[in-house]
Amino acid sequence: MTRADRTQLLIGVAALAALIAVPFLTDSRYIVGQVLLGLFYAAIASQWNLLFGFAGVFSLAQMALFGFGGYVAAMLCFYLGMSIWAAMPLAAFAAAGFGLLLGLACLRLTGAYVALLTLAVAQAMYLLIVTDTECFMMIGTQCRQFTGGAVGFARFADLGTRELFGRDWLVANYALVVALFALVMAASWLIIRSPLGLAFQALRDNPGCAMARGVNRFQMQLYVFGFSAFLTGLAGAVYAAHFNAIGPGVLSLSTLLFVIAMVVVGGIGRLWGPLLGAVVLMGADEVLREFGEFRALGLGLIIAVSMVAMPNGLIGVLERLGALRARPKGEREAANG
Amino acid sequence: MDLIGSVVVAGLTTGALYALATLGLSLVWGALGMLNMAHGAMLTLGGYSAFVIVTRLGLPMPLGVLASCVTGAAAGAVIYLSVARPLLARAPETFETTIMIATFGVAVALENAILLVFGGQPFGQPVQIAGTLGAGGFTLPNQNLLIMVTAVLLMLAIAAFLKQTKGGRAIRAVAQNREAAELLGVPSGRVYLLALALSGGLAGICGLLVSSITQLSPTLGADPMLKAFIMCVVAGLGSIPGGIVASFGLALIESFVQYQFGARWGFPVLLGIVILVLIVRPSGLFGRNQVRRL
Amino acid sequence: MADALAIQDLVSGYGARDVLRKISLVVPANGFVTVVGPNGHGKTTLLRTLSGLVKARSGRVVAAGEDVTGMAPSSVARHFAHVPQGDMLFMQMSVEENLVMGAWLEADRALVAERLEEIYRLLPKLAERRRQTASSLSGGERRMTGIGRGLMTGAKTLLIDEPSLGLAPIVIEQVYAVLAQLKALGRSILLVEENPARVEDLADEIHLLDNGALVWSGPPKELLARDELLKTYLGG
Repeated sequence: MTRADRTQLLIGVAALAALIAVPFLTDSRYIVGQVLLGLFYAAIASQWNLLFGFAGVFSLAQMALFGFGGYVAAMLCFYLGMSIWAAMPLAAFAAAGFGLLLGLACLRLTGAYVALLTLAVAQAMYLLIVTDTECFMMIGTQCRQFTGGAVGFARFADLGTRELFGRDWLVANYALVVALFALVMAASWLIIRSPLGLAFQALRDNPGCAMARGVNRFQMQLYVFGFSAFLTGLAGAVYAAHFNAIGPGVLSLSTLLFVIAMVVVGGIGRLWGPLLGAVVLMGADEVLREFGEFRALGLGLIIAVSMVAMPNGLIGVLERLGALRARPKGEREAANG
Repeated sequence: MDLIGSVVVAGLTTGALYALATLGLSLVWGALGMLNMAHGAMLTLGGYSAFVIVTRLGLPMPLGVLASCVTGAAAGAVIYLSVARPLLARAPETFETTIMIATFGVAVALENAILLVFGGQPFGQPVQIAGTLGAGGFTLPNQNLLIMVTAVLLMLAIAAFLKQTKGGRAIRAVAQNREAAELLGVPSGRVYLLALALSGGLAGICGLLVSSITQLSPTLGADPMLKAFIMCVVAGLGSIPGGIVASFGLALIESFVQYQFGARWGFPVLLGIVILVLIVRPSGLFGRNQVRRL
Repeated sequence: MADALAIQDLVSGYGARDVLRKISLVVPANGFVTVVGPNGHGKTTLLRTLSGLVKARSGRVVAAGEDVTGMAPSSVARHFAHVPQGDMLFMQMSVEENLVMGAWLEADRALVAERLEEIYRLLPKLAERRRQTASSLSGGERRMTGIGRGLMTGAKTLLIDEPSLGLAPIVIEQVYAVLAQLKALGRSILLVEENPARVEDLADEIHLLDNGALVWSGPPKELLARDELLKTYLGG
């Protein structure tokens, strides 16, 4: 295990410890709820980071995949009466399938074309759901659209935590989401460290050389789309299960923007960048909330300014500071060797 | 018969608007390889500028048109100087994606700044002409005619500019081979600035025209920009004549689909076409198959 | 009269690697100097550094008495007509548009028209093809257009990068005949080339470039007479 690996692992253990400590340190349901929400964002952001930061695929369909997972879970429960615990993995697999299709469509495209195609797919999905007014079935006197329409689905899932834990159900759900986050991060870490991850990075940094060395770009791109879609879809399903609701709001451009902002602010292509970004932006969001209407304006500026001013995000800034402090030691080592 | 007529009129009008939006996007993509996600926000800015000049300040309409153009051009110049130039200087190899993210941020900031200043309620665009032309059951609103004529004139003007003037030739030269242009003394930075300002000015006028048949709202430019993206992709990014053909063609298709199957299917059908085109021809119908030097 | 070009201890390169290691040479006014060396030893980098496309790391470049080290390519352009490797034409423009782009820095339209006529006299083939797009030209015609575009700048010093690259022998002869004419017309020329035999009758001086440094300099006849030099540096 290299020193860099140890550092990553250490950060992971520290982050996990901090997350576990949260419900013991506070009784505020609000704070636990916000941290929980932040974890969802961090999970989505980490998967977008895997796709863009490590594999160099600039997809704008991240929220579409998340929403897809959530909707599939909701619809399985709602229409087929399936247990949410069974629906969640199925939804993840469905999202992976969707991701693979998306990856197939993007196979021969590069850069801006990938962005535009994925944006087109995401927008089409959003618009078709929001404008769906056709009655699929009647519930009481209410008309229900197949996709849930502009309202979405609610009260379809029972995780069973309320029954089991009573008043502490939120903490139980919180534990579930922490587990999800840990799973997502561990999987990302393993993928990045695996030969597959190295191939991704080789393709991103020098596609010509990588392909000449026998890395199959098409296959790699499909793998990364499939993997990140699976984890993103799983997060979507858990999201739907926790809130016991899912609506087209998660598919909106502003949600996608929030996620991208987290990766940009935290550090593109850095394992822990999205988590740091999520912490910072959820915090900034709390502060900006006081100024209500300035929230989106502030977010937009944060994205533009950090893209221009800190190419590798806050992690990049920290690394530079660390490098400055570590340099004397490095030079000593060089002199000895 | 008159129904078909009005579908065609609607298609040609939106086609003209899409073509203008596409032209601006294509110009910048061609010159800098930059997908300007803030193009829609520049449209919105143009629409509101005319509104401020004419409705709020009570100045004459031509000044309103001028204001749209100038504000758009200024926005383009500011985006180049504050965002594109530093990103390009730092890491040209990742510029294609970094600039998309950064201009995405700019777009959200601009849109919300407009929301803060003017509020969310829609306004009518004062710069427009009333009345219709008609003959035998077929009617053509003057405003639609004005939009088509303006769009065609602007496109001709841009074509002449690119072909005949020094600045225009410099934009084309930089788009086709930046290093060669620099070796001949063309300062590429200033050409980029020119391209973005020009694209902004076009966006301003386009926003004014769009708002004249809809309404002024902070999200005014979002839809035309999304459509313009589609036109660009179908035509091949950077192909200006292709973009114009695609704009009119797809706008007519959209207008027929909306008439036949309902408004909600217009956009998804366009998206379906894009997805198909991209899968079959990854660099668009008119795009050059770019040989990338890796 | 100042030398057309004087290079002193020029160092440049890409990334962590220096490609040129302290190169010094002089092109006198109306001189024809050739740098010969195998592929990948820095010939193109030398010309690109002179034009400012690659940043010089140290050393000096003086063009007609003016220090141009570290200037942007668009500022160096009035001193050098750089005819780049592979022509780098504006492929969607016509031949004439390409040529006119060459005179971009020249504000006087009458002068541009005059130069255009000159080029068409020198390269009559281009006059025939003036309306054709560059992408439809043959390799030889492209090379001529590239040279013509360089001449349109009006710069007195030409930097020419492997004008024989990828052409048939008969076309190579035509290209060199044009270069001989340019020399006769009083231009100063720095040419890089793989094969010293091509400039035997043209060049005043040849420099042998090996791994980023000049290892031998002298008249072409002398180089061609020395088998051991050719064998060592140019593989016979």
